[in-house]
Amino acid sequence: MTEAATPPPDASFHSSEEAVARLKKRRSAETRLKLYGMIAIGLAALALVALLWNIVARTMNAATEHYIAIEAQIEPDEDDFLKVVKKSARASFPYVSGRTGKRELYGLFSDGAADDMRRAQEAGTLETGEAVPMRFLVSDTADLYMRGEFGALESQESAGGLTITEDGKKFVLRAQDKAFIDAVGRAKAGLAREADSLRQQAARQIAGITVQQARLDSVTGLEREDMLAQIDGFRKTRDRLEGQASALDALITGSGDTRLELTDRMASFFVMVNGGILKLTEVSADTALAVPLVPLDSADPVAGGAWTLRILDRPEVGRPVKDQQVAILETLQREGRIEEVANWKFFSLSDSTQPEIAGIKGALIGSLWTMLVTFSLAFPIGVMAAIYLEEFAPKNRFTDFIEVNINNLAAVPSIVFGLLGLAVFLNFFGVPRSSPLAGGLVLALMTLPTVIIAARAAIRAVPPSIRWAAMGIGASKTQTVFHHVLPLAMPGILTGTIIGMAQALGETAPLLMIGMVAFITAVPEGITDSATVLPVQVFNWANASERAFDMRTAAAIAVLLAFLVVMNAIAIILRKRFERRW
Amino acid sequence: MTETDPIKFRCQGVNVWYGQTHAIKDNDIDIHDKAVTAFIGPSGCGKSTFLRCLNRMNDTIDICRVSGSLLLDGEDIYSREIDPVQLRARVGMVFQKPNPFPKSIYDNVAYGPRIHGLARNKADLDVIVGESLGAAGLWDEVKDRLAAPGTGLSGGQQQRLCIARAIATKPEVLLMDEPCSALDPIATETVEELISGLGERYCVVIVTHSMQQANRISRRTAFFHLGNLVEYDTTDAIFSTPQDERTIGYVSGRFG
Ligand SMILES: Nc1ncnc2c1ncn2[C@@H]1O[C@H](COP(=O)(O)OP(=O)(O)OP(=O)(O)O)[C@@H](O)[C@H]1O
Ligand SMILES: [Mg+2]
Repeated sequence: MTEAATPPPDASFHSSEEAVARLKKRRSAETRLKLYGMIAIGLAALALVALLWNIVARTMNAATEHYIAIEAQIEPDEDDFLKVVKKSARASFPYVSGRTGKRELYGLFSDGAADDMRRAQEAGTLETGEAVPMRFLVSDTADLYMRGEFGALESQESAGGLTITEDGKKFVLRAQDKAFIDAVGRAKAGLAREADSLRQQAARQIAGITVQQARLDSVTGLEREDMLAQIDGFRKTRDRLEGQASALDALITGSGDTRLELTDRMASFFVMVNGGILKLTEVSADTALAVPLVPLDSADPVAGGAWTLRILDRPEVGRPVKDQQVAILETLQREGRIEEVANWKFFSLSDSTQPEIAGIKGALIGSLWTMLVTFSLAFPIGVMAAIYLEEFAPKNRFTDFIEVNINNLAAVPSIVFGLLGLAVFLNFFGVPRSSPLAGGLVLALMTLPTVIIAARAAIRAVPPSIRWAAMGIGASKTQTVFHHVLPLAMPGILTGTIIGMAQALGETAPLLMIGMVAFITAVPEGITDSATVLPVQVFNWANASERAFDMRTAAAIAVLLAFLVVMNAIAIILRKRFERRW
Repeated sequence: MTETDPIKFRCQGVNVWYGQTHAIKDNDIDIHDKAVTAFIGPSGCGKSTFLRCLNRMNDTIDICRVSGSLLLDGEDIYSREIDPVQLRARVGMVFQKPNPFPKSIYDNVAYGPRIHGLARNKADLDVIVGESLGAAGLWDEVKDRLAAPGTGLSGGQQQRLCIARAIATKPEVLLMDEPCSALDPIATETVEELISGLGERYCVVIVTHSMQQANRISRRTAFFHLGNLVEYDTTDAIFSTPQDERTIGYVSGRFG
């Protein structure tokens, strides 16, 4: 034993003031670190909850769909079901007349209603001959209206009575207690909005005048005259706009007794009375002019409480669902002829231009095929490459070069793989465009580096004593690898693979390059059929102009997440199975 | 001296390099069959390296080079005709640290016979496993839990499991690199008894740091120092009448 070279430190060294201060500092540093960690986890959890809540909330809207129950009479050999829908609609709502009115009536129904009948006919379950009760799928705008997407229909009950006088095609309504005073107020608010926008336009003219006047000095001759004429034009427009705005102002400040004309730029006012629906066209505090949207049973005067004024605050121009449609839907609703049912069709239909009959099945199956191709290429090739590089490859410049490049590949932007796929797989090898095969190949290329890197790390992490043990009793290199190293590395390999696959599942950019963004309504039946995949479907729907695609986008994202969860679950089960061998 | 024992390994002019490091320097040694031979010497003198030459485990170390002639039953084990994998089935090895496979006790022992086709059917395999575990003195302890993982055994049991695994392939030679260094005295005693027993049937080579252990179980002892085989004689002779200065110093505990 060696002698202690330095004398032992002072016994009080570890309890000196300095030491205590150091201890305190260390403890507070630890506390701070823990706090930072907790904050980080809290933020991450918050973000996750917000994301899930948002998606789930919006998905709930797509979880149901609305049907209108009316009667339909179908010929046994009917082949134009769109016509059947129209005919039934006309028969059920005979009072809807005029070209616009009819178009709006048909606009309540989806093409999906005709599809349903065709499918029923093919299945032989369609009742024909007699008029039978049927359920027709509503259009996307009607569906959105039913969900209150265009604002709720406010109700104002009145204690005073209402008299109704027919006046040609119109009705004159007289209400007690100034029942329409609120309607007048809202109409005036609409006028004020309009006056505002007129003044804004006028202000733009003024700005134009100022700009042109500033340039006036620098030009001469004809050009100057042109400019003067232009300025003059601006002035006239400004005056006209301001005049219009002032006229509106006069209407707004006028007394409640003058009748205001209601336009489609103002809120819509409906009077529900005697089993029908009237729409106000002119209104003052106690009288109004109205047109019938749903005919009245009679024109008898009614007492207070027996009629309601209903208001849809969003102007008709600003919403795709028109007043006539609102009236019909409200009537149907009151009669209990609108059914809300679970939207299972979302899973059995594929993409469509009409949101109400657009489903996820095509994209889901497409993703499934694509992932299958990706997995069956990336996993075996990646694992084999990793085994070769880790266990068999000599360590030389060439293998070093390969290793560096594999690591680099993992960092290549995915769209580059798309370009490669386009050039090599589609153009050179002639793989069918927008097929899961092409997509799978491209995504496999993208996933491969991830799998290789993860597999190599996992193989390297297997303790060498296991290799020695196997080789020490005469196992060959191959036997050692496949009987001992690989099973032990498998959990790690699976973890890496699932990360790569999850990445591939959510990938859009490279697939755009190989045409998987195309609008495809058929469910792919194999890996060479045209197909789209979930993230591309999300991308397409998010870009669609129809509002009703919004909730379907959310639903598609939910399906994508569910797909991911299932994939992860499979990986975890497999991993557990391998881990149990330890 | 019992020079009557047949010679199993005849090694002449063995040199080993790890890159530039000359780890074994021109050594000659004859290892006898059906006897235990102990390798002793200070740490880093090349005992493990020499042991690994005997079953070509050195081949798995990239930078390792071996030269000289090593004859197993007169056959050069480094010649082209010899398949190192086949050789390792004939020359089994037990390592310093117990390293059972993360599989069941049964599968640990059965693995060697399986890959070498030693058993024609399940019954054969059961017999081999039973015999090997019996020979390793583990049978009574594990016979009721053959399906339990081998890694769940105690350190001493694991080392005996490794010995059972090694002898299950029916090797001619058994190499052991400090098999008792991780074991407590009781487990050590069990393993030592086992090695002594095995020495009667196999050619056993054991590396050890414990002179008492070498004394107790080996018939011959080789003393290595800085890559040189300094002295090789019967164990009795090495410990009672060592010839070389370095051996005298080492066995009397003056250096090392
Ligand atoms: N894999 C290796 N790579 C490089 N050098 C090695 C390697 N293995 C052993 N050596 C060197 O070879 C020499 C002999 O090592 P070896 O392991 O044979 O010693 P040892 O006698 O078994 O020692 P110990 O009693 O500590 O196990 C040492 O100098 C060591 O540094
Ligand atoms: Mg050693």
